[in-house]
Amino acid sequence: MTVNWIGLYTMLRREVKRTLRVSVQTLAAPVISAALYIFIFGTVIGSKIDSFAGVPYISFVFPGVLMLSIINASFSSASSALFFMKFTRGIEEILITPFSYIEMLLGFVGSAVARAMIVAFLILLVGMLFGAVTLTNPLMFIFYVAAISAIFAMLGIIVALWAEGFEQLQMLNTFVITPLTYLGGIFYSITMLPALAAQITVLNPFFYFADGIRGAMIGYHEANQTIGLVVTIGLVVVLGLFVTQIFKRGWKIRS
Amino acid sequence: MSDNTVVPMLKIKNLVKVYKGGKKKDDKTAVDGINLSIPRGAFFGLLGPNGAGKSTTIHCITGIAQPTSGTILIDGVDVVADYKLARTKVGLSPQEFNVDIFSTPTELMDYMGGYYGIPYEVRMARINELITQFDLGEHRNVKFQKLSGGLKRRAMLGRALVHTPDLLILDEPTAGVDVEQRRALWAYLKKLNEDGKTIILTSHYLEEIEYLCNDIAVIDGGKIVWQGTKEAMKEGGKSVEERYLELTKK
Repeated sequence: MTVNWIGLYTMLRREVKRTLRVSVQTLAAPVISAALYIFIFGTVIGSKIDSFAGVPYISFVFPGVLMLSIINASFSSASSALFFMKFTRGIEEILITPFSYIEMLLGFVGSAVARAMIVAFLILLVGMLFGAVTLTNPLMFIFYVAAISAIFAMLGIIVALWAEGFEQLQMLNTFVITPLTYLGGIFYSITMLPALAAQITVLNPFFYFADGIRGAMIGYHEANQTIGLVVTIGLVVVLGLFVTQIFKRGWKIRS
Repeated sequence: MSDNTVVPMLKIKNLVKVYKGGKKKDDKTAVDGINLSIPRGAFFGLLGPNGAGKSTTIHCITGIAQPTSGTILIDGVDVVADYKLARTKVGLSPQEFNVDIFSTPTELMDYMGGYYGIPYEVRMARINELITQFDLGEHRNVKFQKLSGGLKRRAMLGRALVHTPDLLILDEPTAGVDVEQRRALWAYLKKLNEDGKTIILTSHYLEEIEYLCNDIAVIDGGKIVWQGTKEAMKEGGKSVEERYLELTKK
């Protein structure tokens, strides 16, 4: 079976155009937020800390800020695009055209990853202005950015299909993603936590995401890298299979 | 390879569509064992009151809904087993404007053509052709939300035709359009059919069906209650509307 490459490229092109059409919301807002994080935690608070894990505090915090922005960009891109399409019935454009279920997955996820990549690129530029960007393992950096974007794009798809209203669309973000992100050690070292809290933190997948990006950028790891890779790849595979299956079943989109 | 003399453009066998409710007693049978055969080149009218099963049948043909049982073949291609190929053969202009209202007619056709896998140069040439055909030149770069009802319908038709489908399905294509625009749309559709396009039309405007269609089926309660030529429907000196009301009278 041939792959509908032109169709996939069209989905991606459309989402990038949509992202640029509402660039204040999709690009300017996350970049400003990231710049504020970097300025406050890096320059203001960081200037009072000599070094953190052997690097300036700003370099320790920056990968976490980047991860936070990537997660928000990919999740909101996938969830809002699909929910809006469901709401306006624009999803029928996809349903009646020759996309396989895996192509639908690739199209939606690829579009969300594209937005996350644009946001990540802009935040890297801001980080460079503050001298916060180093890359010790570029390949691993690209892997973690792409994998994390894909994971949250797929979660965004699931939430968009499940949600019946705008309030439900925000529920996972508010009650799961945001708390687990902040508790995943993006602003602090796990070594600063009490023993029990540290043990609980290693059960949080977000800890491995932050550690993976941080390790790729500054070469400092607090998590077991193998576990980090297994958790990340495992989530990509499991969510990929799950979303393909719900597209196949037509859950909440194909009556 | 299709044999035009044998393979109809659309063949529906024992189509059943049940919408599942929470419990078995809440299940709703929208289409109940429909059989239909539409030859190539037909202009086919599908009539029926609201909730009769017309849109559900169209949704099953186009992939928006999954049939519960039965088979649908477009030009001999099964819409479930070989759905990717089947979807290239059909174009749909739905009753509702299921579009991104911030997109222009050119963009709508461009995206749809892209989804169908049409290469850029071919797609652009086809879009220019459709823009000319539907007199959308002045409005090709105007956002959909700013277009009049008639222009919106023309943009929807262009979008449905961008991949040059063998079968065109029009679900209430002139709903909310003024008389002048409706007449203009009829002329476009008549020309399309004369050029060989197979068209299925649903409409609540019975004069539209009478003017455009050669063959007609009436669906009610999820079943085909009558099927034949327009002339057969008008037998006994009755209008299509009078015969239709007789057939669907409860």
